[in-house]
Amino acid sequence: MRLSYDRHNKYHRFARACLITTASLAALLWLWWLASVLIQKQLHFNSPPLATPQAAFAALFDLIQNGDPIEHRSLWSWLWASLQKFLKGFLLALLIALPLGLLMGSFKLARDFFTPWVEVLRPIAPIAWAPIFVIIFQATNGSILVVFVGIFFPLLTNIVFGVQKIEPILIDAAKTLGASDWQIFAKVLVPSTIPYLMNGIKVGLGIGWMCIVAAELYNTTLSGIGYFVKFMIDHSSYDYAFAGIILIAILGLLTTGVAEYVSRLVSRRMGMDV
Amino acid sequence: MSEAEIKIEGEKWGKQRLRADRTDALYTRIPKGETLMRIERLRVVYRADDKETVAIEEFTLPVKKGELVSLIGPSGCGKTTLLRAIAGLLQPTSGQIMIGDQPCHGAGSDRGMVFQDFALFPWRTVKQNVAFGLEIAGVPRAEREERTLRYVKAVGLEKFADARIHELSGGMKQRVGIARALVMHPAITLMDEPFGALDAQTRHIMQDQLIEIIQRSERTILFVTHSVDEALYLSDRVVLLSRRPSTIHKVLELPWTRPRDRTAPEFTQLKRDIHAWLEAQNVMEN
Repeated sequence: MRLSYDRHNKYHRFARACLITTASLAALLWLWWLASVLIQKQLHFNSPPLATPQAAFAALFDLIQNGDPIEHRSLWSWLWASLQKFLKGFLLALLIALPLGLLMGSFKLARDFFTPWVEVLRPIAPIAWAPIFVIIFQATNGSILVVFVGIFFPLLTNIVFGVQKIEPILIDAAKTLGASDWQIFAKVLVPSTIPYLMNGIKVGLGIGWMCIVAAELYNTTLSGIGYFVKFMIDHSSYDYAFAGIILIAILGLLTTGVAEYVSRLVSRRMGMDV
Repeated sequence: MSEAEIKIEGEKWGKQRLRADRTDALYTRIPKGETLMRIERLRVVYRADDKETVAIEEFTLPVKKGELVSLIGPSGCGKTTLLRAIAGLLQPTSGQIMIGDQPCHGAGSDRGMVFQDFALFPWRTVKQNVAFGLEIAGVPRAEREERTLRYVKAVGLEKFADARIHELSGGMKQRVGIARALVMHPAITLMDEPFGALDAQTRHIMQDQLIEIIQRSERTILFVTHSVDEALYLSDRVVLLSRRPSTIHKVLELPWTRPRDRTAPEFTQLKRDIHAWLEAQNVMEN
């Protein structure tokens, strides 16, 4: 049988994509394995700090079936703690960024007033706030706020951008159809901003997910997948720590994947491509 | 409908609705061929860096009910500015627009507008685009849907009522634009080079459809175009605008019956004359 690749055939394209992705992931696993073996040879630890892929996946399956080996908490309870903080931080960011973004986009005065705030605060890495937030707001709320900071700025800048990108002719059209300022805001401005909002959410979720893990690593929330990794490392259970890291990667992929899908769906429904 | 009846309905359906009904009542009251709208001594001056540019100088034009008036002039003569000022999208420096005996302030659905680039809402379907103004006016759902559908049908888009804008061709898009303006029963419909973005074939089809629509529904239209041919094919009157600052150079009455023959000697002769005049104007400009 002669194999030939036809790039106009969508099944061929799909098969090709699958093959390449599999090869890519296999290469990554192999590098990981190589690194763990080399490090073990150098250090001669009892338990290698860089667990081999086999050990990590064995730990992951044990985790799924039996929970963690030390506290015997279920995997879900570790994950749920992180997700909860993540969602709360996200909702808080949305709740503040949305009205503020619409305000800044619509009024030059608001934009000129708040832009310096944004420019000063945005370059600060969200995790830099963790120590202060934890002292003031306690561990759990502190982590939520770190996530909030991470998601807030991409969300805000995208909304402001979206409002400013609105086509003035659409506003003219609404005016000649009798729309008042408020109706223009609600029926023209807000809907035309939604694809940009979705783009902001997409970017924000990716950053927010990094923030929640980092915040949990840093402080002693005693819950969440980030803390799980730190906890396992403290107990020299590196294989379980790596199982946690794999989970973080998978969940991060899932969040951004879902956000990407929803955002594309919305853009298409709204007849706009950002 | 008497003034009192309108008021009662208006209170029930909101202020915008009241305004729309007043326009309707006013429109019905004025007989065909009588003056419907008067543009009185309209003047638009742009100010930038202490420099004043007069875009439109003392523009006065009465428009009769049921007629189609075209504005034509050399490029950059301020046709669009004039139309925007009439629509209320731009505050004139002085002068006023009267519909019947009422002066117009700001933009409103009594002066509908059709845009060259369609200006449709991409997140709405065809039907939802047409319904936008009625929604704004607070017209109850049942009546809104009935009226929307009637106008979607009038422009021949009933099969595409639930289609999204990006699925339509240019000609179809502009038919949505026309339906969206006409569904509000505007006293006057302002069209800013509505077929300018369409190819020649679609353009001719749209011109015939427009004539059909206005003859059926007795609408009044002020039409800006680049194309002399289009102006002569469609209009009852053609207004020739001079170079900036825009003033009326000449108003031509076209008493020809419709549908018109583009190859008729008087048609081609007039077309040649206007082209010659336009060219002379453009040469003076450059």
